[in-house]
Amino acid sequence: MRLKYVLSEVLTGLWRNVTMTIAMIITMTVSLTMLGASLLLFFQVNKMEDFFYQRVEVSIFLKADVTDEQRDGIKSALDGSALVKEVTYESRDDAWKRFQTQFKDAPDLVNATKKESLPESYRVKLKDPTKVKELTAEVGTMPGVSDVVDQQELLKKVFELLGALQTLALTVAIIQGAAALLLVANTIQVAAYSKRREVAVMKLVGASNWFIQLPFVLEAVFAGLLGALLAFGGLVAAKFFFIDGSLKALANVLLPIDWSSIWLMLPVLCGAGGLVSAITAWITLRFYVRV
Amino acid sequence: MTKTYPKASRPSLDDVSVNIEKGEFVFFIGPSGSGKSTIIKLLLHEVTPNKGKVVVNERDVTSMRSWRIPAFRRQIGCVFQDFRLLPNRTAYENVAFALEVIGKSKGVARRVVPEVLELVGLGGKEHRYPHELSGGEQQRVAVARAFVNRPLILLADEPTGNLDPDTSIEIMRLLDRINRTGTTVVMVTHDSNIVNQMRRRVVEIESGRIVRDQPRGVYG
Repeated sequence: MRLKYVLSEVLTGLWRNVTMTIAMIITMTVSLTMLGASLLLFFQVNKMEDFFYQRVEVSIFLKADVTDEQRDGIKSALDGSALVKEVTYESRDDAWKRFQTQFKDAPDLVNATKKESLPESYRVKLKDPTKVKELTAEVGTMPGVSDVVDQQELLKKVFELLGALQTLALTVAIIQGAAALLLVANTIQVAAYSKRREVAVMKLVGASNWFIQLPFVLEAVFAGLLGALLAFGGLVAAKFFFIDGSLKALANVLLPIDWSSIWLMLPVLCGAGGLVSAITAWITLRFYVRV
Repeated sequence: MTKTYPKASRPSLDDVSVNIEKGEFVFFIGPSGSGKSTIIKLLLHEVTPNKGKVVVNERDVTSMRSWRIPAFRRQIGCVFQDFRLLPNRTAYENVAFALEVIGKSKGVARRVVPEVLELVGLGGKEHRYPHELSGGEQQRVAVARAFVNRPLILLADEPTGNLDPDTSIEIMRLLDRINRTGTTVVMVTHDSNIVNQMRRRVVEIESGRIVRDQPRGVYG
């Protein structure tokens, strides 16, 4: 009986105030979608940092007129350096092969480029990928070195962009979240007002506090959970159409977001949506409406 | 016991001490603003005294934790001048509501509610809505609702205030009948006719003080 009573109260409550319910669900959905997106971006940036910093190399390009002596000198300097983990040498032939495969879609470029114009280089992996400046100081001025290029510089820009997107999503999530919470508080007040007679009688005859408050709290939780489900749907759709769809070309720069992190968002969003609405509703009841 | 409301210049009840025995029928009389309704509020634990204690059924309820209040109120029935029925529910549903919200099953309600409606003299009118009932009948529904859980105490705050004299007397007969089942009845009123007819204990309050406490009293 109790369960049926509570559920029917919740449904009547949501329906009685249906415009507010919809507004509540929409703001919840937007807020939680943004929360989910910003969490995914956060994971993604961390994962990409790990992934790329392990692979990132510093290229030390040698001058075209480098002598064997200079080349060996650089090699032994790198081998002796405390910063260096691994050194590979890339000859002109290697560079040419790599160039051909890398730009196989652009045969004109390949044809226009002469093998002689590609420099030979040392590819260096660092023990601590952030210590590029120190390496540059060590070998940058050695004779025969033309340039020290750090791939991280490029990655940093990508990470900065992703970080900015994450901050933006989080900001929208917080603003929309605040609006959603105000709507929850308002809905609860309206619901409590329209049921004030029932509530007065219930208090008079000694209905327990949770019994009086539960239908109101569940109304808010329902909206929160529905918002979370819709937000999850939004993330799935974004993964489907956006990340696996139109952005697929960028997949080797932006590591693909895998399904497991998307699925992880379901309990996270439901938890956040449901719990926050429940707490807001309860606080409204306890301290504002004094049901 | 003393009760002062915030912003009031003088206490609503000033150093008042009353002892009501189990099964008694007590009238609290006095002019408006004398503090008699405050007694009901204190007994319901809607307000707490600033000084002194309220003891109900050998239990000090003054400092009762808020989560215990619901259980405490299940021992008390309450009737008001304005009936306080739910307009969108029938007589039956109004009474059953009081049972259902304290966790009694529909089966219990089906057994007990017709019985109590019969007791208050509303047999056959179970499915009328409050607006289809007369004032006296609505008050009977309210009495049925207050009594359906067989409380130890029935509090009545000017229950005849909105009723004509004949109907008032019928309601009083009903309260008397309930009192005879062993339920303590505490009634606040300024209806002199009723007090004079009933000849029960009368406690008169004026400006927050007891000026008279008389067994088998009259309005004075």
